[in-house]
Amino acid sequence: MAGAPAPKIEKGPAVSSVAFLPEILPAIKPRLLVKNGDTVKIGTPLFKDKNNPDVLFLSPGGGTVTEILYGHRRAISRIVIQTGRTEDHERFDPVDKEQLAAMDRKEIISVLMARGLWGFIRNLPYRTIPAADETPASIWVSLDPSDPFQVPSGVYLKGNESLFAFGIRALECLGAPVFVCESLGSEVSHEAVAPLVTHRVSGTYPAEDPGVLLYHTKTSPRENHAWFISGQDVLMLAEGLSTGRYPTERIVSVSAPAGRYMKTRLGAPLASLLSGEAAGENRRWIMGGLFRGRSVPKDGYLGLTETSLLIALDAGDPELFGFLRPGLKKPTASRTFLYALHKKPFAPLADMHGEERACINCGKCQAICPVDIMVPFAYKSIYAGEIEDALAHGLLDCVVCGLCSFVCPAKIELAETFESTRHAYHQDRI
Amino acid sequence: MGRRIEKSLRALFDRGRPHFEDKGRLSRLRPFYEATETFFLHPAIAPKNKPFVRDSLDLKRYMSIVLIALMSPLLFGIYNAGFHARNASGLSTDFATVFGDGLLIVLPIIIVSYAVGLFWEGLFAAIRRHPVSEGFLVTGLLFPLTLPPTIPLWQVAAGITFGVVIGKEIFGGTGRNLFNPALTARAFIFFAYPVQMSGDAVWIAVRESVENGINAVSGATPLALAALADPTERIEAVFANNGYAFQTLFFGNHIGSIGETSTLCILAGALILLITGIASYRIMAGAFIGAIAIGAMFNALASPDLPAWFSVNPFYHLVTGGFAFGVVYMATDPVTAPGTDKSKWIYGFLIGAIAVMVRVINPAFPEGVMLAILFMNIFSPLMEYTETRIRIRRRIPNV
Repeated sequence: MAGAPAPKIEKGPAVSSVAFLPEILPAIKPRLLVKNGDTVKIGTPLFKDKNNPDVLFLSPGGGTVTEILYGHRRAISRIVIQTGRTEDHERFDPVDKEQLAAMDRKEIISVLMARGLWGFIRNLPYRTIPAADETPASIWVSLDPSDPFQVPSGVYLKGNESLFAFGIRALECLGAPVFVCESLGSEVSHEAVAPLVTHRVSGTYPAEDPGVLLYHTKTSPRENHAWFISGQDVLMLAEGLSTGRYPTERIVSVSAPAGRYMKTRLGAPLASLLSGEAAGENRRWIMGGLFRGRSVPKDGYLGLTETSLLIALDAGDPELFGFLRPGLKKPTASRTFLYALHKKPFAPLADMHGEERACINCGKCQAICPVDIMVPFAYKSIYAGEIEDALAHGLLDCVVCGLCSFVCPAKIELAETFESTRHAYHQDRI
Repeated sequence: MGRRIEKSLRALFDRGRPHFEDKGRLSRLRPFYEATETFFLHPAIAPKNKPFVRDSLDLKRYMSIVLIALMSPLLFGIYNAGFHARNASGLSTDFATVFGDGLLIVLPIIIVSYAVGLFWEGLFAAIRRHPVSEGFLVTGLLFPLTLPPTIPLWQVAAGITFGVVIGKEIFGGTGRNLFNPALTARAFIFFAYPVQMSGDAVWIAVRESVENGINAVSGATPLALAALADPTERIEAVFANNGYAFQTLFFGNHIGSIGETSTLCILAGALILLITGIASYRIMAGAFIGAIAIGAMFNALASPDLPAWFSVNPFYHLVTGGFAFGVVYMATDPVTAPGTDKSKWIYGFLIGAIAVMVRVINPAFPEGVMLAILFMNIFSPLMEYTETRIRIRRRIPNV
């Protein structure tokens, strides 16, 4: 992929509004705690989760609530806050190392929930925000995303090493072993972080995904239930605890016009990250990584855990005899185009490259699956309504990396099917 | 130039489209319209779901590669059919006229196969309201290549009808069929019209208009000779005496079904399929090992009381009849082969083994490849099922 960022951080422009996007939080039913026109500070609770009322979500900006937008089936899609000239912070008690050491599991959980920091943690296998009574077998932190458009540890960790170590200590209070995984080739040498590293991983996307790591390290079904948090979010958590203020600073990778990292804030409007021609016509904005990202509107905002904005070209015009071309510039994981002999970075193009067809059982999906799911069989189980079969095939091990959908020559929405089936299954079980 | 053509085609299709939309007069024919449009203009479609980038490989490309891999046996088959027709009539055999005559023999068969097959494919696509699948382009070409050059065209039509309708569509269409449609079509013709599919008189398509006026030219295929060989003879010697030395069999300049004779050309196609990763090397290698292993086993059993086939060098099995063609193009059909890796080895092995067994042991059928593949098609779901169960049992359960 072309446009991977250069390793320096730019400071983003000041913004006049920020937003919180409840819609993209997995399996959260928000109950609003503010209304339009309310004045809020940074850290004022905006809403809580109906299923789990202790979990609060806080305002990333200080100012006035100017818009509460409802989306599909009246799900709250965003809460926009017009920021004032000076922004006030809600004050919490700072927590230092000694206090942390004295806290028990219950206390730390209630502190994290009340300070809006709980939302950075996700569970496996459902990848939702965990409930307080869940007992994970392990907690995973991956330092380096293998997606070229995510922010690597070398960028966000620099200068924050002891803060990171503090965050890991806080996670250790949650009553499960904390596993920190770094990637071969970008080992962290800093004395505060290096001793914390428990795993080292090599390989291409999605080798460092917590779900993949768990799948390849677990030895019994008891380990299936785990939590994870991204490296950068450990810093958020640590900052929120140690300063007593809701953290708002974010480093985001932006792929256009040239790849770069930008220091901005939680909930920033996406337009503030881009300028000029990059924001032009026929572009698709993808938030959250190449394979997993969602397509975002141009007036969108940065979500709670999102740190990557990728600009892809939109699908262009139909191509004369497109399927017969030699394809020197047609990116593929197969060997059916000349591209295979001549792999070069390419600009991402948001195109299906073909129409949907019936599955011909070619097996490309199961060959690429990082967690060894026999994708065609699992997919057909779902298609036939046999959820038990799909579960036996490892539906819950699926990390929704999107590679099966990517390679499928019949253009079947495999990852989407797995994700929505798992979501429905999860909803049924609650 | 390309841009101009693209533009005018775009305009042409845009003008035509309203007729095929839901309310148009020809809405029933939409699958035909769409198949034609997307053939010329490869569509650019924005993904609706993540991931928003997708691989460039689609089924059109996938099937095109199989078609490209079929070109070498097809072109050789055309030449070969023309050569034997002219040779038997005592006419000159320079390349151009031979190829021209070959085209006159083979092209009508292919045209009928495609036209009739496309009709059925389109009919079912229209009724089911789904797009025409590109897999048909492969079936429509594979089938003619398995036929003798003298096949009556109405039988081609009947065969492809059976193959597409009974072999594929009644199972639910592409991707759900149990049997390889092209092979089902061939099996139907083989059993329904044995006179036109076997014997000594069907392999040379003598044109009626030749001056010498010879109509019935007979020639025995290597397999027919082998089946009749006396147990005391060596098959290799029988072949050599009738002009079927190993090289001849390998290069393919002998009579037989249109596409099957040249092992060399088929190997060229196999190379394309393997390099591009379209066909499974496991199945091909499995079949190769299976044929050699069973052939060698028969060698060990060979005695003067048993048919001469027992003692043949197993490599002769690879270059005679439709073995290479069947293994490379038919056995590797992903829909009807198992979708799991170990099963593919076993599936291939058994195809090779059974094909040789039918040839050697069963005097009723000189050729066994078709039966072996169809037989293993039946077992492929069972093999898949067994292997998936085993692999699931190895997983750490996560429910």
